[in-house]
Amino acid sequence: MAISLVAYIREFARWEWARKFLAARTAPLVIPPYFRNYPELTGKTCTHHLFCMMACPAPGAIDVIRTPEGWQPRIHIGHCIRCGLCVEACPNGVLSSGRILESMFRDNTRLSFSFKIDVDLDKCMGCGNCAVACPVNKLIDAQMSHGGRASTDDLLLKLSDGKCRVLHVEKCTGCKTCEHHCPNEAISVARLLEAVHAPEEVP
Amino acid sequence: MTFLQKVKNFVRSRSIHVAYVDVGSCNGCDIEVLACLSPRYDIEQYGIFVHNNPREADILLVIGAYTPGWEEKLRGLWEKIPPPKAAIAIGNCPISGCLFARPHTLVDPPVAKHIPIAAQVPGCPPRPTEILSAILSVAPAIFADYEVKTK
Repeated sequence: MAISLVAYIREFARWEWARKFLAARTAPLVIPPYFRNYPELTGKTCTHHLFCMMACPAPGAIDVIRTPEGWQPRIHIGHCIRCGLCVEACPNGVLSSGRILESMFRDNTRLSFSFKIDVDLDKCMGCGNCAVACPVNKLIDAQMSHGGRASTDDLLLKLSDGKCRVLHVEKCTGCKTCEHHCPNEAISVARLLEAVHAPEEVP
Repeated sequence: MTFLQKVKNFVRSRSIHVAYVDVGSCNGCDIEVLACLSPRYDIEQYGIFVHNNPREADILLVIGAYTPGWEEKLRGLWEKIPPPKAAIAIGNCPISGCLFARPHTLVDPPVAKHIPIAAQVPGCPPRPTEILSAILSVAPAIFADYEVKTK
C-alpha cells in the first residue's frame, strides 16, 4: 500500500508529466496535400477556351486575363468555392488543385460541354439584339443587318416573323452574349456539363 | 508596460469567448464552426470558448450573406459586445455573397458595410483549421495592450 502510494506520487510529480498534462495540444493543424484547395497555375499554356469560366458556379470567382506571357486564368479568393470544376473543365490542364488532375488522368474522365438556347417567345419582342451581338453569327455573316435579319440560314440565331429563332444550336460556344444583350430577359443559355468516361476525341 | 498589463495580455490571449451569428447562409459554415468544437480540432484546448452570448463575447463570428431580416439587428448585436472586441467573417458569403450574390436576390453583402470586420476567412466553407488559425492570429493582435491603446 505504502509502496504503491510512493510510486504513484513519484509518477505524477515528474516535470515531464506535469508539462505534458498542462500544455498538451493536438497535432499541428495542417492542411493535407489531397485537400482540393484554390486552383493553382501549372505553367501550361492557356488557349483561351474559357471553359473554366463557363463551368464555374460562383459569380466572379474566375476570369481569364491577358498578360505579357499570354492568357492566364485568375482565381478570386473570397468568391471561389473550391469546387474544382475549372480544373476539370480545362482542356489543357492549366490549373491544378489537390489530386483532381491525377484522378482525371487515372480514370480517363473529362467534362464535356453542350449548350441549349431557350427563347421565351412571349417575352421576345423581336429587336434582334441577340442575333446582332452573337459572335458566332458575326463570323458567319459579317454583313448582318441591324434588326437581326439575314439571307443565310447557317446562322446560330436569326429573326424571322418578328421573333428570335434558334437555327443551329450546335454552333453555340456558350458565351451568353445574347443573354446579356437581351433587354427583356427573353433568351437564356443553359450550359450543360456532362462528365464523360473515356472520351474518343479530345475537344 | 506594467506588470498588470502583461497579466491581462496573457489571460486575454488564452481566454477568448466566441459568439457566432448566422445572417443568412446555407449552414455549411455553421457546420464547420461546429467541427472546430469536435475532438479532432478541439477549439477549447486553445482557450477559445463558444459561448454564443454577445454580452460575454470577445469575438463575433459572422456567417452568411446578410439577408434583409438582419438590418438593424446585426448592428445592435455588435454593439452589445463589450470592448475589446473583433468580428471575423467566416466563409465567402460575408465577403462577397458567394453564390447568393446574383441579380434579383435580396442579400446585401459584404457584411463589412454594416459592422467593422477585423479578419476574413475565405472558403465555401473554410476548413476548421483556417477558422481556428484566424481566431488565434486575430485575437492577440487586437486584445494585446488594449488599455494602453485606448488611453
